Amino acid sequence: MSAVDGLAGRVRAAAPFGTDAGVDRSLLLLFPLIAYELLFFVAPFLILLRISLAEPSTAGAYASGTWSIQPYVDVLTSEFFLGVIAYSFKLGVISTVITVALGTFYAYAIWRASGLYKSLLLFSIVLPLLTTLVIKTYAWLPLLAPTGTVNDLLLAANVLSSPVQFAPNTPGVVLGEVYIVLPYAVLAIYSVLSTMDWTVVEAARDLGASRPRSFAEVVLPQAIPGIAVGTVVTFAWSVGAYAAPALLGAGSDRTFAIEVESQMLSNFNWSVGTAFAVIMLVLMFVSSLALFNLLNRWGGEVEYGA
Amino acid sequence: MARRETAETAAFHAGALSILAFMFLPLVVVVATSFSASGNLAFPPEGFSLAWYGEFFDDADWLQAFDNSVVIGIGTTLLSTFLGVTAALGLQGRSGGWGRYLAPVALLPLLIPPVVLGVALLVYFSEIGLRSSYLGIVLAHTLWATPLVFFVMQSVFSRFDWELRDAGMDLGASPLRTFYHITLPGVRNGIVVSALLAFVISLQEFIMALFLSNYATRTIPVLAWGTLRQSLNPVVSVVSTFLILLSVIVIAVAALVMNLEWVAKRLS
Amino acid sequence: MSGIELRNLRKEFGDLVAVDDVSVSVRDGELLCLLGPSGCGKSTTMRMIGGLETPTDGEVHIGDREVTDLPAYRRNTSMVFQSWALFPYKSVRENVAFGLKMQGVDADERAARADEMLERVEMAGYGDHAPMDLSGGQKQRVALARSLVVDPDVLLLDEPLSNLDKRLREQMEIELKQIHEEFEKTFVHVTHDQDEAFTLADRIGIMNAGRLVQVGEPSEVYERPKNEFVEEFLGDTNLVSGTVVRTDGERATADLGFGTPVDLPVGGDLSEGASVTVSLRPEVLTLQRREGADGVETDGTRSESPAPARPDGTGAGVTGTVDSVLYRGSQVRYSVTAGETSIFVERSVTDHGDVATGDDVAVTWATEDLLAFRPGGERLGETT
Repeated sequence: MSAVDGLAGRVRAAAPFGTDAGVDRSLLLLFPLIAYELLFFVAPFLILLRISLAEPSTAGAYASGTWSIQPYVDVLTSEFFLGVIAYSFKLGVISTVITVALGTFYAYAIWRASGLYKSLLLFSIVLPLLTTLVIKTYAWLPLLAPTGTVNDLLLAANVLSSPVQFAPNTPGVVLGEVYIVLPYAVLAIYSVLSTMDWTVVEAARDLGASRPRSFAEVVLPQAIPGIAVGTVVTFAWSVGAYAAPALLGAGSDRTFAIEVESQMLSNFNWSVGTAFAVIMLVLMFVSSLALFNLLNRWGGEVEYGA
Repeated sequence: MARRETAETAAFHAGALSILAFMFLPLVVVVATSFSASGNLAFPPEGFSLAWYGEFFDDADWLQAFDNSVVIGIGTTLLSTFLGVTAALGLQGRSGGWGRYLAPVALLPLLIPPVVLGVALLVYFSEIGLRSSYLGIVLAHTLWATPLVFFVMQSVFSRFDWELRDAGMDLGASPLRTFYHITLPGVRNGIVVSALLAFVISLQEFIMALFLSNYATRTIPVLAWGTLRQSLNPVVSVVSTFLILLSVIVIAVAALVMNLEWVAKRLS
Repeated sequence: MSGIELRNLRKEFGDLVAVDDVSVSVRDGELLCLLGPSGCGKSTTMRMIGGLETPTDGEVHIGDREVTDLPAYRRNTSMVFQSWALFPYKSVRENVAFGLKMQGVDADERAARADEMLERVEMAGYGDHAPMDLSGGQKQRVALARSLVVDPDVLLLDEPLSNLDKRLREQMEIELKQIHEEFEKTFVHVTHDQDEAFTLADRIGIMNAGRLVQVGEPSEVYERPKNEFVEEFLGDTNLVSGTVVRTDGERATADLGFGTPVDLPVGGDLSEGASVTVSLRPEVLTLQRREGADGVETDGTRSESPAPARPDGTGAGVTGTVDSVLYRGSQVRYSVTAGETSIFVERSVTDHGDVATGDDVAVTWATEDLLAFRPGGERLGETT
């Protein structure tokens, strides 16, 4: 608890600058975070951008002091790199569709649950959230391997006649990725649902809407903001996936994150590695923004539809 | 009840329970395989033994990684709690101005793929000489832990009854004494919860640490990853069991102090 | 055609019995108010009529059909919720048209019927508004229109006025009454507000702790409360406990701590020493300043003076001192202590003026206007 004590001391020191204090005092309180974000978040990305515009070098990681768009040209004209980008987005889209569908359902189930059952459902979301990616990924291996538990069960039940390689393979990657991102989607949707008034759903049922109908007519339109946030978070994480494809994927399951890692740490080709990272970041940013607007517009159409 | 309603209810509960099982399954596998008697990572495990626990405690690499994780975790906790609490306090009661842009900027690192963050920081730290240092990893983990602390504290501060503080000042306490005697006791639980969450975030983070550590500073998840890429070794399950147990304890404490639903909503 | 009949209805939530053996018939076109304190089971009873809760035991009949096991969306009942439960992402017109949409009515017709219904609740022209932008009273009207447009057999109202301020509430009570008369439907209205129930109801059903205590027309319930709970719940009254000191075979006389024994209109079958609770309603009490006892000639003989009687000789009363005078708008409320017992008496503000704190007063009543109860139980002389 020494961490907490030390912290309390710092906060005490900050006390004179109470909340109603003038702008200057508030600024003083905000200064540490602003300085930190500028120094260790904004600055690194500027440097990243700079290095991605340097000439590649065979002697070092990049040719310092040079300017070149060659790294970008290299990436964008390489069939291999374009294939990696396509695979990343394919993985992102598939994982997002599955995750958001499951997440909406599960968030609704948590919202409707009560007491101990509700706590258990919430716990099942929070615990994986606070568990390292490594655990969340490798635990699937003994289950999905050709000699793993799932194959044993399916063979014993005569569903399969010979073992299927779920992992290392694409189905394993998707499953692992869905498992990793599901908690984020569920919580984003749940926090919107939990502000909703249940009697509105009862009113819909009372007026003749069946359960699925009342869900579609009343719950879904209100949950759209949560679903939009959940979708974007899920999509960003799945496109940028590293652990699941690296451990549960075959050699062909190569995402941009794996490629960047190997360019940076194995090939030591920083100009290509950083250029690739910048390209992916821009693509993700643009597609996430488009997705977010699309979902919210869809929500808007529901709002004013007949 | 009408038959259709009953069938719908049953299907609904079956669906929810399946996802519940899905969420716990990998964690159960990890804990079960840590007690395996054989060297194969198989589920259900072949036999029962504590052999791999002994292996863990005899391995200097794992113990070194454990120390690294704790040092980095405490550093991250201190730094991110300081940054998050001061910023939340600074923005309390202010809605306008450019201050409102700070929250989205602080949130952004959570949406950027950790590999990209890792690359950017790797490049940057190489320039300024922080590569592979404890401090570098602490600064990286703080990017993730700070927004959580910030949002937890923002909601704690907004729930706090600031009239209490006014009453304290009105009764003659100096601002410093008011904060110590009135504000702090009211928000202490929130600070403890956010500090615990920051520690766990740092402890479990893996990709940034992978980029920013070396043989001497690697954390437990990084070493576990490296081990797994060579062979599926049940010692990893032993380490993982410890990590899961730690998260369970933190969640239990947080849930006792604040309540689980509240904590869950702050994590999204 | 569309009355409601509840038979031995029971609902348990875990260990809690929310509704216990409730049986009642609601006539077609009647407005029944279920009245009771919060947690008495009135809302749960209504939700079982609407199909939003499934009874643990018992039956619900609407018209000539048993609907106990039908889910809400297949019953022709319609509910107006306490929060009104308007769909926030739909316009007012879409809200009203929702039930028709579920019935498969085509878009043009349902828009037309929704607008027509909005006109009938005086909300014409609000069709394109968002529910969020409406005032409480307007939301209330939209919620009514949404429920009425589907032409339900039964309209269920779950404390729909409780979120309105007092003035608007009184206005909406009248409007609701008019709507009930105009649409000629069976209404079941749940409330914890006695005034609201008396204003609206054809009959009132009073509930307590899951049970239906008494059902009757407002005047019947008010004049012949079945037990002490009903009497206490229905309004401001003085409930005074005491013991029977004598009985003449027809009527009892009780010591209520006033210093003077009080004759009761009933209680011939009570034995001496039995406990009894007497209700002295403020509207049957008369307050008079006692002449020659305004402090000038105070001589300590007050408690020995004979009990004052009404001019016609049928009355009874006690003497005491005014402790406080409280202005409550049109009424002035006096707290009077007589012997060891305090009671309150009301007077119209126009009659007030000659009585002040500290004055000696006489409080009189007609014996026939008193109600007596077994402590915590039935009213004495209850025959039906």
